[in-house]
Amino acid sequence: HPWETVTTAAMQKYPNPMNPSVVGVDVLDRHVDPTGKLHSHRLLSTEWGIPSIVKSLIGTSRTKTYVQEHSVVDPVKKTMELKSSNISFTNLVSVDERLVYKPHPHNPDKTILTQEAIISVKGVSLSSYLEGLMANTISSNANKGREALEWVINRLNAEIEEFTASARGTMRNSMAAAAFVEK
Amino acid sequence: MNSVGEACTELKREYDQCFNRWFAEKFLKGESGGDPCGQLFKRYQLCVQKAIKEKEIPIEGLEFMGPSKGKTENST
Repeated sequence: HPWETVTTAAMQKYPNPMNPSVVGVDVLDRHVDPTGKLHSHRLLSTEWGIPSIVKSLIGTSRTKTYVQEHSVVDPVKKTMELKSSNISFTNLVSVDERLVYKPHPHNPDKTILTQEAIISVKGVSLSSYLEGLMANTISSNANKGREALEWVINRLNAEIEEFTASARGTMRNSMAAAAFVEK
Repeated sequence: MNSVGEACTELKREYDQCFNRWFAEKFLKGESGGDPCGQLFKRYQLCVQKAIKEKEIPIEGLEFMGPSKGKTENST
């Protein structure tokens, strides 16, 4: 998909069926910097399906994990960079992720994503096991992320089709529908 | 999609709709002049900031956490 489509979908990534644990998304800050890049700071709340008996012991406010995400979109250079790190009450494991979306250098209808994750675990004995486990999860999540964006793109396209179908029915002039045509 | 503060979800939805439209139709096409969503954003922000304080979510490096946190942040 072209970069504009992927970037628009990435801004509306949640909810989607591939990430059912994300239960809340909020924008903490957003501004366009002097060079024209859009910065967004978002807070994602995730809920991992902890058994209710555990919840009743530790309280529901502690069952959510929060992820802080900073994204920068450069509409001139056509890059979107996302950095996220998890915030939790325990800070035992921290995961920092960095994703960059750019148009494919040879095919403008495609977008390239590069993704890296840095996992840090405090406490020695389980660290290499946990890191191995999380590394596997993160690489399968990379695929899931792509599927999630495909899903969002399909949803947006379906909305556009519905809109243009009803617009054709009520308006002769198709200029209004053209405002939403995908590149 | 809900907000972290349950009361803020409606404000969030209104803001999101405005932002998504501006982003796809103006910003990505190189017309970033005039963000039409400023008012909606302010109202939504006030609600979210309150919710975060109430839930004591430990977010670092954000101005609105107040001077007691002792953090510095570039002002935007």
